[in-house]
Amino acid sequence: MNPSIIGQMAVSGALMGLVYALIAYGFQLTYATSKSINFGQGELVMVSAFFSLTLTNLGLPYWAMVPGGLLFGALLGLVVERTGVRLALEQKSEGWILLSIILGLFFFSAAENIWGRDDRPFPTPISADPIHVFGVDVTRLELSVAVGVFAIMGLIELFKRRTLLGKAFEAVSADRDAAELMGISATRTVMLSYALSGTVAALAGILVSPITTVGPTMASALILKAFSVAVVAGLDSGFGVVLIGMALGVLESLASFYLGSGWREAPSLTLLILALAVRPTGVFGKAVIRKV
Amino acid sequence: MLRQTLYGSLFLAALGLHAGDTVKLAITGPFTGGSAPMGASTRDGAKLAIAEINAAGGIQVGNKKMKIEVIERDDEAKNERGALIAQELAAMGDLSGVIGTVNTGVCMAGDKHLQEKGVTKIICPAAGSASMTQWSKAGVKDLSIFRFAAHDGIQAAMVVEEAINRHFTKVAVIFDSTNYGVSGRDDMLNQIKLQGNKLQVVAQEKFNIGDKDMTAQLLRAKAAGAQAVLIWAIGPELAAVSNGMAKIGMKAPLIGGWTLSMSNYIDNAGKNGNGTLMPQTFIEDPITPKAKAFIDGYHKTYKVDRIPSAVAAAQGYDAVLIFAAAVKQAGSTDTHKIKAALEDLKEPVKGVIATWNHPYTKWNPADVTTHEAFRREQVVMGMVQDGRVVFGNASDKARLIKEAAGTPAKPATAKPAAKAKGKTK
Repeated sequence: MNPSIIGQMAVSGALMGLVYALIAYGFQLTYATSKSINFGQGELVMVSAFFSLTLTNLGLPYWAMVPGGLLFGALLGLVVERTGVRLALEQKSEGWILLSIILGLFFFSAAENIWGRDDRPFPTPISADPIHVFGVDVTRLELSVAVGVFAIMGLIELFKRRTLLGKAFEAVSADRDAAELMGISATRTVMLSYALSGTVAALAGILVSPITTVGPTMASALILKAFSVAVVAGLDSGFGVVLIGMALGVLESLASFYLGSGWREAPSLTLLILALAVRPTGVFGKAVIRKV
Repeated sequence: MLRQTLYGSLFLAALGLHAGDTVKLAITGPFTGGSAPMGASTRDGAKLAIAEINAAGGIQVGNKKMKIEVIERDDEAKNERGALIAQELAAMGDLSGVIGTVNTGVCMAGDKHLQEKGVTKIICPAAGSASMTQWSKAGVKDLSIFRFAAHDGIQAAMVVEEAINRHFTKVAVIFDSTNYGVSGRDDMLNQIKLQGNKLQVVAQEKFNIGDKDMTAQLLRAKAAGAQAVLIWAIGPELAAVSNGMAKIGMKAPLIGGWTLSMSNYIDNAGKNGNGTLMPQTFIEDPITPKAKAFIDGYHKTYKVDRIPSAVAAAQGYDAVLIFAAAVKQAGSTDTHKIKAALEDLKEPVKGVIATWNHPYTKWNPADVTTHEAFRREQVVMGMVQDGRVVFGNASDKARLIKEAAGTPAKPATAKPAAKAKGKTK
């Protein structure tokens, strides 16, 4: 088969995969500090995208809209933490599972009522015209997704490693009780992780919307893939999600090309089952030995 | 004692309803949700016609003029909602008729309740073949369900015809995995065979609702040398296909079902949608005085500068005019008499789409076209251009202007050639 076609498929798939990876990274952030996951993460992506669209429609330029959207995402993350997660964690219950799903449903209905159920275009100054690189067509829009994903993940990882607050984040991730004894507020750190996770979700929404349009159901297909990526890579794998996300995206697109579009999801789901059977902690996950 | 009074007043209330001097007409459809552009446009088009009729004093029924009273029901494009609404309407007793339904699934779920009570319904604008063929399959002898839309059979025939007329020989067939998409693919493949196998299908590709990256499917089509893409799908996925084609530099035009004229395709595809072709029963272009009055009226009444779905709005408008003509001819608000009048409408109805000359005939289970108003010649090819739908072929425009000026559309009894093509199932 023509190598340029394979190249095209791989590049398109990998770029979609980066979006999965970014959402999966949002799962990781909260899992690290609190061992909890926001099952309504997809709705955070969607509501933030709608909010950013509203900012744009109000006449804000793109570069002013992006921080506004990210801030909104962070606030939503805090709302989820306060209403859905904190009490459950204090009571050492698993209530956050149900509560985060309920919050997701609530955001979904709110979005339907506020913005309606139509899929709408998301205007962007970044051109959607293809550029030709080594026989492969990519659009600047798609490249902006890659740049955005790497930029925010890089920044957050730098923050975790280089700043005092980041060190506290790492400490709580490593051992919550020990960190508390050292005078680090675990509650504050969990709040921070949810705010970061919300920011990441908002960025995913802003980056992907110009390609996929904005609508209440825009994230439902993405979120399942993102969850698979997070699980296959391991919920504490850091940059592992990027590799797995890209691999999953490439696999999907090659599968739909060679096996037919009806088989698009099959290889990636098979891989998910295999990965879980062989490495339950994820490909890049660390097995933790607990002494009792 | 109390109970007696209650029953008594209920009885009186019921009497009061029957004694009303209005024609009760229900309008149903999805007024919210993804299909809302079609549902709301149908409703608004229909209400425009109703407002005009009422402003002129109402319909002449027997020796008095009666106004039309509208009963609106939102089925949210959900089959179960549609079934409940149909049950409610069928139980009303004094309802003269129903106009509406966008989704074929809703027709399948609800129409049986109306048919059971013999309530006259004009389906508008659901196009899926199954909503009429279900009655011929069941062998129903007396049917109170009519359709006022260009059904998928006509549309698929036109799509294939257009590809042949544009001298394409290799095409890709792309469809979504819903009932609508799959049955559209079957209709198109069937038409390719019927029209002499002049098109070679080099790729058959499918996608799911919610898919946004169509690169794989499109690359297969491109690699196979497709010169045009024949497509049957719903909603924004159509836009994803257009945008994907632009990305991989595929210049082949998109030809497909009338959903390509919906605002959520046109807006989301932007300039990549230019040149896309689809069958239309009405183009938002004031080429005749009647069309101009309708378009201006719609824009002014609903404060828009583009009708969300011009096809649905115009069909809703004409359906009301035809229904009103049937009420007048029946001289009664009784839904059974209106049905009989619809099957033998004597006076031509001057609508915004065409002049309707005897649109329906007595139901024959072996021939669904007896209850289908549209024939091939009432449908034209539309083309997307800079965010609007315009005439795809100049000859269509010229023909419509000429027809409106003098010669009316052919009566249904003349059975034009497209009739055989229309019946694909």
